[in-house]
Amino acid sequence: MEFNWELMLSSYAAVFTPSILFMICIGTTAGIVIGALPGLTATMGVALLVPLTFGRPPLESLSMLMGIYCGAMYGGAISAILIRTPGTPAAAATVMEGYPMAKRGEAGRAMAMALFASFFGGIVGALIMTFASPFISNVALEFGPVEYFGLAIFGLSVIISISGRSMIKGMMSAFFGLLISAIGFDPISGFPRFTFGMVEMMEGPPFIPTLIGLFAVSEVFSEVQKTGVVQQVKAKLDQYLPSWKDIKYCFRELCRSSIIGTVIGAIPGAGGDIAAFISYGEAKRASKNPERYGHGEIEGLAASECANNSCSGGAMIPLLSLGVPGDAVTAVLLGAFVIQGLQPGPMLYKEHIDIVYQIFASMMLAQFAMQFIGMAGIQLFARVIMVDRAILTPSIFVLSMVGAFAMRSNIFDVYTTLAFGILGYVMTRYDYPLSPILLALILGPMAEANLRRAMVISAGDPSILVSRPIAVGLMALAVISLVLSIRGHRKVEARMAEMEKQFEKVIQE
Amino acid sequence: MKTADIYGGIIGILIGAYAIWEGSRMPTDVVMKIGPSFFPNILAGFLILFSVILLINALKGRSKGTVEPMRLSDKGVQRGLITLAATIVFCVVLEPLGFIPTAIIFLVFMMLVMGKRSALAMVIAPPLVTLSIWLIFEKVLYLSLPPGVLVDIL
Repeated sequence: MEFNWELMLSSYAAVFTPSILFMICIGTTAGIVIGALPGLTATMGVALLVPLTFGRPPLESLSMLMGIYCGAMYGGAISAILIRTPGTPAAAATVMEGYPMAKRGEAGRAMAMALFASFFGGIVGALIMTFASPFISNVALEFGPVEYFGLAIFGLSVIISISGRSMIKGMMSAFFGLLISAIGFDPISGFPRFTFGMVEMMEGPPFIPTLIGLFAVSEVFSEVQKTGVVQQVKAKLDQYLPSWKDIKYCFRELCRSSIIGTVIGAIPGAGGDIAAFISYGEAKRASKNPERYGHGEIEGLAASECANNSCSGGAMIPLLSLGVPGDAVTAVLLGAFVIQGLQPGPMLYKEHIDIVYQIFASMMLAQFAMQFIGMAGIQLFARVIMVDRAILTPSIFVLSMVGAFAMRSNIFDVYTTLAFGILGYVMTRYDYPLSPILLALILGPMAEANLRRAMVISAGDPSILVSRPIAVGLMALAVISLVLSIRGHRKVEARMAEMEKQFEKVIQE
Repeated sequence: MKTADIYGGIIGILIGAYAIWEGSRMPTDVVMKIGPSFFPNILAGFLILFSVILLINALKGRSKGTVEPMRLSDKGVQRGLITLAATIVFCVVLEPLGFIPTAIIFLVFMMLVMGKRSALAMVIAPPLVTLSIWLIFEKVLYLSLPPGVLVDIL
């Protein structure tokens, strides 16, 4: 599939309409606010606001969600810099340099660089997404059930290997999620499994209520336990754009981190937090002044912010071209696509190529919206952090429940949300990562249905699984990634622990 | 974390064992050799395997990380339990009572639980939040919320 320039231009024209631009701006603003509020992540933001897209045209809905995704990735930096609390996990690395800068009285400079780095990373990520996805989908068009099975296995192996602090618990989460995905009608014979005789369970646990429960309601339960005195922001924010000198100083890191972020984003399972930490670590390693890191080095701040925003473009590549989400947020986005009647993957390029290019365009415009809204509303977003938790937290619960109910007007979905909320809270408390469950819910049916389809084609002969070179390659990659991650897990763990130690040090200082 | 991991391991094993038991009652496919229980059985097998590893590690004292114990005397834990009860009541009464009254009562109650004592905030915030959500869903998105006791007014 050649890259279609003509379609690209017409897609920009389609997105450049007042209603779409308005939705992008609304989404971006909501995203920045959600990202800025500690405890509210990009995944939660998209999950909470997906119900607002029910019944809206696909382009409007998806543009708004793109805006939320991009905005939230930047928003996390605001609280990271101003109150040393990362608004999203992806901004944890930002705290290490951003907060010391704010303490030195350079909050304005740090905020301006965070916004610009986010914009730069976002643009690079969106550009790579625009040009890489069509080619990957072209290859994927040749995929049959065997290749899809291989792809799902590869995705699952990567998710398992990189998720969470404890690999065993990551594995348990993933297999538990896969078992949940097996609830409902069997994809081939239609036999109802694990339904406990409930009609509502025949189609499996409803996706949107499940993820709202896991990512929003669980957070409500942990938020109510905290006794938080709302921190007051007194920093002077007088800079909207970084100085030319700062841009020149950080330019090398901006370029490097945006590439690292996009590549990490494109790997299924790896999200903005990992991208930011790895880019930050690489920036420190390559720096001429590594001793400045941890004391407010603007280069480290730029690396972390740039990486977590470019990650969003990267994560969209496997989602659009293969139908496999790159991280937890894109897994939620996949749900939003399905609600709109669009199934991400190579067929999306065949059947709805116009929508695909419009998504490219809206992702790019969301970056510009983020830069302008971020500059214009910097004072306001800094105030948002001080919002009263006693009002916000219960309101999030109400919105979650309404969102879960609204799609099918079914009270069963409300109970599902609550059940998954409690489950999510307990799992997070005891260090079981939640993202593998979400991704397993998508990859599980894909793996099973394609395996069984392949077996139907081969009349039960399992040798079909090794009959196609791409499938064999993908499965070999799955084995390699598992072996490497088991061997390298300790090393990665040690590095992450070192980073966390530094992070704690900055927090305590 | 040791005790928590022991419980986690046991729960994992029980879930896996249940899936295998349930799978044993599913029909087998004579044509393709693999029926509806094939995939869940493999998954349950792996879940049991990793649960056993977690359990053994915990028993050998190799559990990672720490977790703050839950004490009933802790104010945070008390708030958590009250919230849990309130959320269950919210779900149960949502349909019969209706969205608007349920949400307003829930918000006022939760604000009190979370230590908010300002009467003005209590009077203004819950109705404002509830009505905003109701207006967006009902009037902008045309998605119906349970009217409950207000069915004749709305």
